[in-house]
Amino acid sequence: MNFDFDKTEIALREKIKESLGPDSKADLANLENGSIMEVRETTLHCLKNLGQAGYIALGLSDGKNAVSLTATQENLAAISPSLFLSVEVSARVFGRLVAFYGTPDQQEKILLPLKKGLVIGAVALSEGGMNIENDPLDTAGVSNDDGFRVSGSKGHVVNGPIADWIAVAGKVGDEIAFFLINKDSEGMSIGQRLTTLGYNGVAVSAVTLENCNIPLTHIIGPFKGEKQLKTVRRWEDQTLTVASLGQIKRSFDTALDYAKNHRSGGKPIIAYQEVSFKLAEMLTLLQTAQLLAYRAAWMEETGDREAAVLAHCAKVFCTESAEKVASYALQIMGGQGYISGNPAEEGYREAKYLQIAGTSSEISRMKIADKVLGIEALG
Amino acid sequence: MDFSFTEEQMMFKEQIIRFAGKEIVPRVQEHDLKGEFDFESFRKLGEFGILGLHFPENLGGSEADVVTTVMAGEALGEAGVDGGLTLAYGAHTFLCADTIFAHGTDGQREKYIPKLASGEWIGCMGLTEPGAGSDVASMTTRAEKRGDCWVLNGTKMFITNGPLADVALVYAKTKKELKHAGISAFIVEKEAPGFYAGNNLIKMGVRTSHTSELIFEECTIPKENLVGQEGAGFLMAMQTVEWDRSALLSPFIGGMTYVLNKCIRYAKERYQFGRPIAQFQAIKHKLADIKIFIEAARTLCYRIAWCKDQGRPLNHLEAAIAKLFVGDWGLGPANDAVVLHGGYGYCHEYDVERNFRDSRLAPIGGGTSEIAKKIISRLM
Repeated sequence: MNFDFDKTEIALREKIKESLGPDSKADLANLENGSIMEVRETTLHCLKNLGQAGYIALGLSDGKNAVSLTATQENLAAISPSLFLSVEVSARVFGRLVAFYGTPDQQEKILLPLKKGLVIGAVALSEGGMNIENDPLDTAGVSNDDGFRVSGSKGHVVNGPIADWIAVAGKVGDEIAFFLINKDSEGMSIGQRLTTLGYNGVAVSAVTLENCNIPLTHIIGPFKGEKQLKTVRRWEDQTLTVASLGQIKRSFDTALDYAKNHRSGGKPIIAYQEVSFKLAEMLTLLQTAQLLAYRAAWMEETGDREAAVLAHCAKVFCTESAEKVASYALQIMGGQGYISGNPAEEGYREAKYLQIAGTSSEISRMKIADKVLGIEALG
Repeated sequence: MDFSFTEEQMMFKEQIIRFAGKEIVPRVQEHDLKGEFDFESFRKLGEFGILGLHFPENLGGSEADVVTTVMAGEALGEAGVDGGLTLAYGAHTFLCADTIFAHGTDGQREKYIPKLASGEWIGCMGLTEPGAGSDVASMTTRAEKRGDCWVLNGTKMFITNGPLADVALVYAKTKKELKHAGISAFIVEKEAPGFYAGNNLIKMGVRTSHTSELIFEECTIPKENLVGQEGAGFLMAMQTVEWDRSALLSPFIGGMTYVLNKCIRYAKERYQFGRPIAQFQAIKHKLADIKIFIEAARTLCYRIAWCKDQGRPLNHLEAAIAKLFVGDWGLGPANDAVVLHGGYGYCHEYDVERNFRDSRLAPIGGGTSEIAKKIISRLM
């Protein structure tokens, strides 16, 4: 047992903080208000800095150091939730897909520039809604002479409008494959950037494929069964879990700062129990969520037999805590918090995404229950 | 970071679960119903070595580390031991015996620890008073030096093991004009003149533990019964917090695992609308929430234990967070377990009813949730 981070873990975290650079504030505003081209340029700029710091490559060669990766990610998530989501989908979801299941050729052509932060990746899983649990994928590839002809439509693709590569999940016969589709491929159309409740700095869109021809070298799989699809979903869930830790920290820090500085009745409002006790609950949720997420990551790394169920527990607990903490933060900040453009208000809107995306709270709970009931089917 | 337990720890946990399941749990319902302390179970805990687990071998212990000790508490809960017995064990071993061990003289250690570790003697700790709960410094029990003796006057309240104890570790003011710095600790034996225990209070839960007032009327004890330095009592009481936030919390977490297992069995066996209720999403939702609570809570608890094993001073912020979370966030799952059992859950036979009552102590005993929030907000 050891509840401390070691020196290398701490050093890595500090390096990532630095790599975001002093100009990052302006960058981050750009993500929200800029044109698609500007969003892409800004994201690439940040990715390049993070790539140089070694951040993008983390977790792409093996599953080691999962706990320190989580704690490192948490810092970026607290600095910019939108940038974090965009970066992680590119690095840890798309990146891992190529790193763990891709061919050496794909790794050389796509993964190497990705690690350096030179290209952006996206993964297109869900179709009608945000979840893919109960209904089979409609997107399918038909084999032809020099590859596959892919058709189908995907609903919400994070990084869709700015990605160089989109890994599209679909069927080949009864099997599941990921088609690696370049942004300029004929037959693929990227929808309008969607306007969303939160994560306004993330470019999200629908992606439609109509007889899109891809060469044989651009397919991952096909695989029998859903193991790989589930693994991708698990990476997505981990990203959302850590995003929650960042959100909680951000909301808490903002509310604490406000409570210490805003005065009412001749004293800072933190002197009132109605305020300070809320902060105490918020910090309790932060630390509890952190430890649960770290332990889930550690279990994943060590191959613990409870790893899958712990990952779901962490996803539910952390994402729901993010909403609770943001709600308290808004309450503490009163009218000031209600004005758009502060972390508590953002966090409140964004927390909902965390509970909906990936494996939703509802489906996560059913999976946890299946596991404790000894029903293995849903994994 | 590393969240692993050693193989020895895991094996020991299994041993305790087997032992308690066989030797203690079969009598739990009967004693809870009658509100009676189970002397036989307590003696068996002593024989098995649990009461003195972390003490040195020459004092009757096994020199276990704190993580193992906390794990023993979790194992008892997981086996189905009720919150009353685990509370009696906690008050005895950590609040009474450990304070004597940590701050007492060699003579005091040799006299009391072996008999407490074996369970031959039962210990209690007297801090809270009728008018002084969370506000410890407002205590009015006084100890006065007269010749070769200390003379105690005052009343203690809500004392776990009070009516049963052979040995009481009692906090009293030796300088009433001082607040915290005026508090000292004393050992009072059952036979001390002027020492009386009140009647067993009838409680909502943890009913197999006996709780009472301790009354001191010109209670006279030898001067060597002072524990530690005069005026150091408050610090000593605060040090027991380390145990309060780890070893006394872990049985609640283990107890929730026991309850989860009960719920799983019931949900599979209970048929309504032609199928086991385990197939209904509303039931599965509750099972998931109980599981999430257990996993979130236990890591907090073991963090306190591990830090103590590293010899670090207690991190009061982390300790208060563990206490607050286990106490307040545990009530929902305890309630869920009752609801999941429907009408049966409201009946004594199904154990979830007892767990529901026992769980209500967690946000009250050993520092309320409000005090935990006060500590957290002061330190953040």
